Amino acid sequence: MSAGLMPGRCDADVAVIGGGLVGLAVALGLQEQGLKVAVVDEGDIALRASRGNFGLVWVQGKGDTCPEYARLSRLSARLWKDYAAELTDATGVDLQLSQIGGLYVCLSDDELAQRADMLSAMRDTLGGDYPFEVLDHTALKAKVPEIGPTVAGATWGPEDGHVNPLLLMRAMVQRFNQRGGLLSTEGPVLKIEPNEGGFRIHTRGQPVAAGKVVLAAGLGNRDLAPQVGLSAPVIPNRGQVLIAERVRHFLDYPTGHVRQTGEGTIQCGDSKEDVGFDPGTTTDVMAAIAARAVRMFPLLEQVKLVRAWGALRVMTPDGYPIYQQSEQHPGAYLVTCHSGVTLAAAHAGPLADWIANDRVHNELALEAFHAQRFSL
Amino acid sequence: MNPSASALSAVDDTAVADYDLAVVGSGPAGMAAAIDAAERGLSVAVIDDQPLPGGQIYRQVGDPVLQDRNVLGPDYYYGESLVQRFCAATVDRIDRASVWEAGPRHLCLSRDGRSRRLGFKALLLATGAQERPVPFPGWTLPGVMTCGAAQIMLKTSGLAPSAPLVLAGSGPLLLLLACQLLRTGIQVEAVLETTPTAHYRDALRELGGALRGWRALAKGMGLLAELKRGGVKHLGGVSELRALADSEGKLDRISYRRRGREQRIACRTLLVHQGVVPNVQLSRAVGAEHHWDALQECWRPTLDSWGASSIDNLFIAGDGSGIGGALVAEKQGRLAALAIAARLQRISDQERDAEAAPIQREIHRELAIRPFLDRLYRPAQEFLRPADDTLVCRCEEVTAGEIRRIARGGCAGPNQAKAFSRAGMGPCQGRLCGLTVSQLIAEAREVPVADVGYYRVRSPIKPITLGELAAMATPAKELGAHDAKPAPAADAKH
Repeated sequence: MSAGLMPGRCDADVAVIGGGLVGLAVALGLQEQGLKVAVVDEGDIALRASRGNFGLVWVQGKGDTCPEYARLSRLSARLWKDYAAELTDATGVDLQLSQIGGLYVCLSDDELAQRADMLSAMRDTLGGDYPFEVLDHTALKAKVPEIGPTVAGATWGPEDGHVNPLLLMRAMVQRFNQRGGLLSTEGPVLKIEPNEGGFRIHTRGQPVAAGKVVLAAGLGNRDLAPQVGLSAPVIPNRGQVLIAERVRHFLDYPTGHVRQTGEGTIQCGDSKEDVGFDPGTTTDVMAAIAARAVRMFPLLEQVKLVRAWGALRVMTPDGYPIYQQSEQHPGAYLVTCHSGVTLAAAHAGPLADWIANDRVHNELALEAFHAQRFSL
Repeated sequence: MNPSASALSAVDDTAVADYDLAVVGSGPAGMAAAIDAAERGLSVAVIDDQPLPGGQIYRQVGDPVLQDRNVLGPDYYYGESLVQRFCAATVDRIDRASVWEAGPRHLCLSRDGRSRRLGFKALLLATGAQERPVPFPGWTLPGVMTCGAAQIMLKTSGLAPSAPLVLAGSGPLLLLLACQLLRTGIQVEAVLETTPTAHYRDALRELGGALRGWRALAKGMGLLAELKRGGVKHLGGVSELRALADSEGKLDRISYRRRGREQRIACRTLLVHQGVVPNVQLSRAVGAEHHWDALQECWRPTLDSWGASSIDNLFIAGDGSGIGGALVAEKQGRLAALAIAARLQRISDQERDAEAAPIQREIHRELAIRPFLDRLYRPAQEFLRPADDTLVCRCEEVTAGEIRRIARGGCAGPNQAKAFSRAGMGPCQGRLCGLTVSQLIAEAREVPVADVGYYRVRSPIKPITLGELAAMATPAKELGAHDAKPAPAADAKH
C-alpha cells in the first residue's frame, strides 16, 4: 500500500529506506528540519529488528573499545528526555520512558569484578567523566529487594533507562504521518537508481524519487549500499526475547537481562548467537535466558511465559555504527547500528542535522563511524 | 486397560524418549492414526491435554457422565469403540500434557508443571478444530459463551448453563446442541439463526452433493423437527445481534433485528456459534505453509492427499487440516498413518496405495455434503468484520475500529498490527482474534485476506512458567535457582 505517492516526479526531498526505529528516527528528524520525507518500508513479514528489541536506553558499558561510541550513547541518552516529551505531546502516546538508572546484574563475583574493571577502564579512557557504581549483594538488595540470594551484585549506571519500544514505534509512525510523510510498505527495495538531481527507489510498486536517500534498512543495507558506492558489512546476530505475563510491580530499574514494563509485563533477553538469517527460537537458549532470569529474581519462577521470539540484530564487525555519506554518489547516506532505541534521539537530532544541512555536531565524531575502518 | 493411564509417569525426568511417530491430539484423527501406525510396528506416542482420549467430539466417552444415552446421541457413543481400540493399542499415551513447541525432530511438552523434550522421526498434528471466534457487541459479557463450550460442559460434567437460555448463530452444532439441551430437560427460549437468507439459495447449487450426503441432511431435518416438537422458537433471518448487560455487568437480555424490527429477549445465558475452523496454532508455530480457504473463511495448512505438509515428515490430519467432521478425521488419520509407515519404510508404497484406496473412497463419500454445508453456513459479514465499537482482541482490549484505523494508517498486516495495537499479544496468542484481525485489515486495505496473511505464531503456544522453562536449561543443576550456592560475598555481609 502507498499513501499518496504520485508516480513520475520527485516525491520527497529525502527517501529513507527502512521503516524501523532507525529509519523513522532519522525521518522524523529530517521532517523537523522542514524536509519532505518518504519512508520506504517492507510489508508485514520482514526481519524487523525493531520489533524484537529490549527497549533499553542504555549507556553503561557501551563503547568499551570505542570512546566515540560511548560519548554518542551518552549524548543520545541526554537528548532522550526532550525527544520523548515532544513525541508524546504531538501524538498523545506515553512512551513509558524512565531514566532513573539501570543495573547490570552479575551472578558471580568473577563476573562482577570483570564488569567493574571494564567500566573503570572506560572511565580512564574518557578522562574520568563516566559515572557508574559497583553494588555488592547488600547494596543491590537495598535497590531491588526481590533480588535472588545467589546473585553477587551489579553495576549501576545512573544514566541508564528504558522505554516501551512498541509504543515508541507507534508514536513515530503516527508523528511521521501527522507531518505528511509518505509511508510506503511496498518494499523491499529492488534497486536504487542514482540519477541527475537525486535517486529513484524501485520497489514492486511505484518508484519513489527523492533528492537524497538514507539507507536505514538494517540487514538489507548489505545489498543496498553497493548500489550507491557504499559498503555495509552487517551480519545478523540473533537475540531471543521472552515475554512473561504481568506481575505486580517489583523492578524499578531496567537490567541488562530482565526488565519490567509500565504495565507490569516481564521481558527477559540477551542472547548472542551467530545464526545466519534464522529469526526463530531455540529451546536451549530460551531455557538459559529463563534460568538466568529466575536466578536473578526467584519470584519469576511461577510467572507464566506468554511468548518468545527471536529477532536478528544488525551487527557490524566491531559492533559500532556506520554513518557515512557516499563519495561516489553524494546525497546517499548509510545509517546502520544495533541500538536503534538508545540512539533514536541522536538519530533524530544531530544525525538528521548532518544529513539535512551538512552540519556536524561535536559529539557525532563521523570519522570514527566511517566504514573505511573495516578495510584497514 | 485403564483409559486414564499415562506413559510418562514411568519416564524419569531427564529421559528424552524417541519415537517413530509422535501424534499431537487424541481425537478421532489422532487415535485412528496411532492405532494403525502401532499395528504396523511403529513406536508411537500420543500427547493430549485432556485426561481421557476422545478429543472434543468424543470427550469423556470412555467414562460417560450422563445416564441417558439419548441426550448426546449415537454419533457421540460411536466414539466408544474407537477409544477402546485406542486404549488397547500398543501406544504410549501421554495425557494431561500440552505441546508448547515443536521442531524438526523433537517437541517440548509440559505435564504436571514439568517440561520435557520428546523425539520423533515423524510428527502428526491432529489438533482438531476450534470454534470460530464470534465478535459482536457484548460477546465478552459474563453469560455469553460458545455452543462448543456448553457442549463440553454437558459431556464432562453433565451440567447445562443457567436458564433462561438462548442460542444464536449458524451451523450444524447450533441445532444439535439445542436438541441435546432440550433432552436434558433444559428450557430453551429461542434458537436464532443468523444465516443470511441468500445463503440458502446459494447452497442449493450444491444440492447434488447434499443428496449424496443424505444421511447428514436427514439428521438435520430430524433436529429441526425435534425443536419444533419441543416448542422451541426457531427464528431465521436474524441480524444485528447484541448482548446487553444488567447493572452488575452480567448478561440479562439480547437484542436483534428480524424482518426489519428490533426485538429483545430476556436471558441469563446466550450460546453463540458460527461454525468451526482448523486449529492451526501448532502448524503455524512450526512454520508449515498455509493458505486461505475462501469458502470456509479460514486458514488451512497446505497438504498433499496423504496429509503431508510443506515440512519434511510433518503430517496433519482431521479438522486441523480443514473442516470435514469426525468421520472424515478418523479416515484421514488412517491415511496419514499409512503414508508415515511407508515413509519410514515399514510398508511398501504398493501396500500403502492398496490399503488407502477404500479409505479414500469413504472420505470422498463423507465429504460430498461439505460444499452444501460450507455455502449454507458461511458466517454473516457482521461476525467476520464486526462494527467499529466491537472488541476484537479480548486479551488486550482492542476494538475493530482500532484495527481499521491502523490499517488505514499504513499497517501492512497482522504482525505490524500486533506491534501497533497489541492485538494478538495476550495470553490467548491470537487464537481468538487472528481471523478477525486479518479480515479487518484486508477490508481496510481493499485486498484479499490471502494477501494480508496471519500472525506469526510464537512458541510457547501453551503457557508455561519461567521456572519450568529454566529447569530445561543445560546443565540444569548449575543454573537452577534451588541448587546454586549463595555467593560467598553476599553471605558474608548478611
